[in-house]
Amino acid sequence: MAALQEKKTCSQRMEEFRHYCWNPDTGQMLGRTLSKWVWISLYYVAFYVVMSGLFALAIYTLMWTIDPYTPDYQDQLKSPGVTLRPDVYGERGLQIFYNVSDNTSWKDLTQTLHTFLSAYSPEAQEENINCSSGQYFIQKEFHAPNHTKFSCKFTADMLQNCSGLTDHNFGFEEGKPCFIIKMNRIVNFLPSNNNTAPRVDCTFLEKDHKDFKPLEVDYYPSNGTFSLHYFPYYGKKAQPHYSNPLVAAKFLNIPKNKEVIIVCKIIAENVSFDNPHDPYEGKVEFKLKIQK
Amino acid sequence: MKKNSEVQALRQLGGLTSTRVAELLAQNGPNVLTPPKETPEIIKFLKEMVGGFSSLLWAGAVLCFIAYLIEFSKDKSASMDNVYLGVVLIVVVILTGIFAYYQEAKSTNIIASFTKMIPRKAFVIRDGEKREIPAEQLVVGDIVEIKGGDQIPADIRILASHGCKVDNSSLTGESEPQSRTCHITHENPLETKNISFYSTTCLEGTATGMVINTGDRTIIGRIALLASSVGHEKTPIAIEIEHFVHIVAGVAVSIGIMFFIIAICMKYRVLDAIIFLIGIILANVPEGLVAAVTVSLSLTAKRMAKKNCLVKNLEAVETLGSTSIICSDKTGTLTQNRMTVAHLWFDNQVYQADTSEDQKDQIFDQSSATWASLSKIVTLCNRAEFAPSQESVPIMKKVVMGDASEAALLKFSEVIMGDVIERRKRNRKVAEIPFNSFNKFQLSIHETEDPDDKRFLLVMKGAPERIMEKCSTIMMHGQEQPLDESTAAAFQTAYMELGSLGERVLGFCHLYLPEDEFPDTYSFDVESMNFPTSDLCFVGLISLIDPPRSTVPDAVMKCRSAGIKVIMVTGDHPITAKAIARSVGIISANSETVEEIAKRLKIPVEQVNKREAKAAVVSGMELKEMSPEELDELLTYHTEIVFARTSPQQKLIIVEGCQRQDAVVAVTGDGVNDSPALKKADIGIAMGCVGSDAAKNAADMVLLDDNFSSIVTGIEEGRLIFDNLKKIIAFTLTKNIAELIPFLIFIIAGVPLPIGTMAILFIDLGTDVIPSIALAYEKAESDIMSRKPRHKKKDRLANHQLALYSYLQIGILQSVGGFFAYFTVYAVQGFKPDRLLYLRPLWENDSLNDLEDSYGQEWTKYQRKYLECTGYTAYFVAVMVQQIADVIIRKTRINSIFRQGLFRNKYIWVGIASQIIIAVILSCGFGSIPILNFTTLRVQYWFAAVPYAIVIWLYDELRKLLIRLYPGSWWDKTMYY
Repeated sequence: MAALQEKKTCSQRMEEFRHYCWNPDTGQMLGRTLSKWVWISLYYVAFYVVMSGLFALAIYTLMWTIDPYTPDYQDQLKSPGVTLRPDVYGERGLQIFYNVSDNTSWKDLTQTLHTFLSAYSPEAQEENINCSSGQYFIQKEFHAPNHTKFSCKFTADMLQNCSGLTDHNFGFEEGKPCFIIKMNRIVNFLPSNNNTAPRVDCTFLEKDHKDFKPLEVDYYPSNGTFSLHYFPYYGKKAQPHYSNPLVAAKFLNIPKNKEVIIVCKIIAENVSFDNPHDPYEGKVEFKLKIQK
Repeated sequence: MKKNSEVQALRQLGGLTSTRVAELLAQNGPNVLTPPKETPEIIKFLKEMVGGFSSLLWAGAVLCFIAYLIEFSKDKSASMDNVYLGVVLIVVVILTGIFAYYQEAKSTNIIASFTKMIPRKAFVIRDGEKREIPAEQLVVGDIVEIKGGDQIPADIRILASHGCKVDNSSLTGESEPQSRTCHITHENPLETKNISFYSTTCLEGTATGMVINTGDRTIIGRIALLASSVGHEKTPIAIEIEHFVHIVAGVAVSIGIMFFIIAICMKYRVLDAIIFLIGIILANVPEGLVAAVTVSLSLTAKRMAKKNCLVKNLEAVETLGSTSIICSDKTGTLTQNRMTVAHLWFDNQVYQADTSEDQKDQIFDQSSATWASLSKIVTLCNRAEFAPSQESVPIMKKVVMGDASEAALLKFSEVIMGDVIERRKRNRKVAEIPFNSFNKFQLSIHETEDPDDKRFLLVMKGAPERIMEKCSTIMMHGQEQPLDESTAAAFQTAYMELGSLGERVLGFCHLYLPEDEFPDTYSFDVESMNFPTSDLCFVGLISLIDPPRSTVPDAVMKCRSAGIKVIMVTGDHPITAKAIARSVGIISANSETVEEIAKRLKIPVEQVNKREAKAAVVSGMELKEMSPEELDELLTYHTEIVFARTSPQQKLIIVEGCQRQDAVVAVTGDGVNDSPALKKADIGIAMGCVGSDAAKNAADMVLLDDNFSSIVTGIEEGRLIFDNLKKIIAFTLTKNIAELIPFLIFIIAGVPLPIGTMAILFIDLGTDVIPSIALAYEKAESDIMSRKPRHKKKDRLANHQLALYSYLQIGILQSVGGFFAYFTVYAVQGFKPDRLLYLRPLWENDSLNDLEDSYGQEWTKYQRKYLECTGYTAYFVAVMVQQIADVIIRKTRINSIFRQGLFRNKYIWVGIASQIIIAVILSCGFGSIPILNFTTLRVQYWFAAVPYAIVIWLYDELRKLLIRLYPGSWWDKTMYY
């Protein structure tokens, strides 16, 4: 087959390119005359305007069909996630390492807890009502002001020793630290079907710590339960002031100078903690190392 | 006897001595052709891996690994996606490379190599004795003897010859046997009769000659060297693909850099910006296109092979389609390559014979008594015979022993009168003088079949003027009449008329020998000619021609309407060439040559305006005198050109001339000496039946049936595949934008990534592969043979209209559809579009396990990841659904889909089914394999993009409608690709 391509020198190519950018003979810039460019630009502007219009219309219709209070599907949020405060992440997940004698090493941790609990001050919870029923707080109607539903108060003092009010250092100083466990919100989620409140249960991860004594924990509120009157959650629009109930766990017998793994599970009928893919579903695992 | 004594004398000379031979052998080397530099298989294989597209994919793979390394250096737990992508790209390149290599190898292996032609043994006279040696050991000066059936062992000069005839077809392609004598008949060594060439065959007779050239210095060796020195360069489709790669790379790099700058301006880290840049470039690489193009080309190659065009190089498939000039041989390609009776003249009248391939309809008047006599002469004065044991073979296909004219006459009489051999037996031959170039006639004497008639019949045929000289009477309606002035004049007119048709005319006469002078015991002596050879009775003329193949005129017409110039290049006489050119339409009925205009206007040739003459017949001699400028002028201003009496070397000049006109030139050839022209041509076409191995080696395509009309079919296929490749590319490019935009929005608007790398790969190498290949089966939209051949510099495969329409219109529409599906699945799960904007830093934060959605629900990282995969799946399905619309709209470029027919191309539906099935399997079956990042999608979201698919289809119908309504308008120029 034949020589179809004659070899071009670099300057020829540059010249060709210049000619392409501006062709003085035909008045073409980049292969089109100015008026052609205007036309084609106008066409594309019109095309995109129409298309954006179509897209906007489609999104508008989508939003219009969507329930403002409840998501259409919750199949991907079947079981709530669990989070821990303070939350310091290392290479693999949560790891909280500190030195009892070095207060700079835990100052940040307690500061995190203080910041987190500031949302649970009486002032912040002012809009919410006091609840003590211990039963699901089912609200079919919107009786609260501005067409909303009531939310129950959860204030920091309910965490007693771990509230940061009595012990400003949350026990970190004496090597018996408090950790706050929070269950994620899911709209209309009921933790159990039989009025049993979900309970936090923290243990050493068994397989690693067979030789230790069982973990001794003080839970606040007592029993480490999330009271049922915080459930169900009706969503941001219905309960704008809702705040998650919390459970604090104070670990009493952490071996010193040793890295331990602790897992806190939520024990409830509708909460699963055995999803192999999701380490934060229904449980939270963290490494703890207290040096002395 | 005299000649035999010459041979004896030569033997006496004793030839070279062994010592001299050894010297010469050391000096000149053995008598073998240096084999053409064979590209090692591994190089060929590697070449398949790096050309065109593949380089793009390699670059993509390297970028993948770089991206991974950058990420890895930053974060040890970096996602492996880029590595997978890189590996997949490499696998794709290697697989397509292997496939292409396999395809090429399959077609190349059919072609045997040069080495086959080398003669094995030679009889040589050395040291005074004749011995048999391997031909490699011949040296210049050796005396060799050859006999019928041998291959000539080197270039030799004939010293003595006894009825030696050679077949030069391996060299020149003309299969007519040529006699070889010791006389110099021409200055040109290729023309003179006393030189016989290496690798040609001696058909009959014997000869003794001296070796004058050996090995690479032989004519054939020189041609082989020439052929290997003519470069094998890029095919038009390779150039088109390169151009396409430039477009894709240009788009990728410019978008990449643009977004690199944007990312930097948006305060992304430089490292992130580089990863984005690489990602954007990668999203633009059409991974599946290489495979689709290769498969389409090989499908077409297969289809062409069925139609007798065997393509050696896949890319040649398309080259054939862009052909604008065909330089065709005459003999065998345009004609049937066998002499056939074309006209008869007897009773002062010209009759036409049927020259079609089967000669069934002989309609001329067979009732005349003159015909009875003529047919008897034709039958009896003929030495040709059918080869034995071919009773079941149709007459026209039977193998005949004897020369071409005699064979033609034998078959002609067999067809008309039946069993010729039986008839010859009944009229026993008693004496015979075979044809020779000195007598220019052939004569035989027979007993008659009538037992009562004891006379002998003398029959004679030969050159008409020679026969006429020997006659004193002429037969008219069975009666002998004295030959007077007027009948002689009539004979002359008929002879000239038939001659001017380019036909070989033979005269026939007979004489019944008087019984008293020649009793049945008479002994005829052909040496002393003891019988009359004058005052014979002239019976008639028969003219022979190698008639055109019956399909050729149609094919030439098709070429003409397809804007392809057909040029005949032949070694034949101009008159014959012109006659054939006229009869097949290469010179159309109403066009004239300069000479004809001059004759009509009765003015000298010089005064004729050359521009008026459409046709031109140029002989080799004239061509020799021409400067390249004159040749250019000739090729430009004459649309119908015949080159006659051209040497094969001139073919190369003609091809080069055509290529100077920016034409894509197809050249047919069969001889070894055609191989440089075949190589030089954009597409060399070798003849499968008569072609020499060298020609087949040099060619890009082999015509299995040697038929010109197969070339035209090939052209049609080539044009179709060009159109279809356009459709395939348009189809493939479209979704590239739909794969790219998500990434851009991800960078700019900070939304969770709408589609992942794996999903993109599954579109490019999964759902889209079969539909794009199916487009190769699309039928032509209109008569593709009624438009001009594409201009190789102007009509690009991937032009800017195609790129703009695919990228900026349909591609954007697809992205919009995809985003709609994406926003929908996020919204129904709790993340409304406004929440998604600029959510990326939080969304991708591994240590955030309580991310709030629009409803206040909190999501862990894994739950978000799962939702993201659902988003990928939704976007993937949306693109797949819109690609269904895309494949349907790409069926046509200008016609409405309904005109083309939705169901004519079944493969499209196979493709669409494959898209859906692959998507369903991925979404449902492999949803649980985390690496693939697919999840099961609710049924209704499969339909989220359907309205957009319909919009795409409607919009494209509108585009086509406007193009059809306003041809030549701004719309047409901007939107037609």
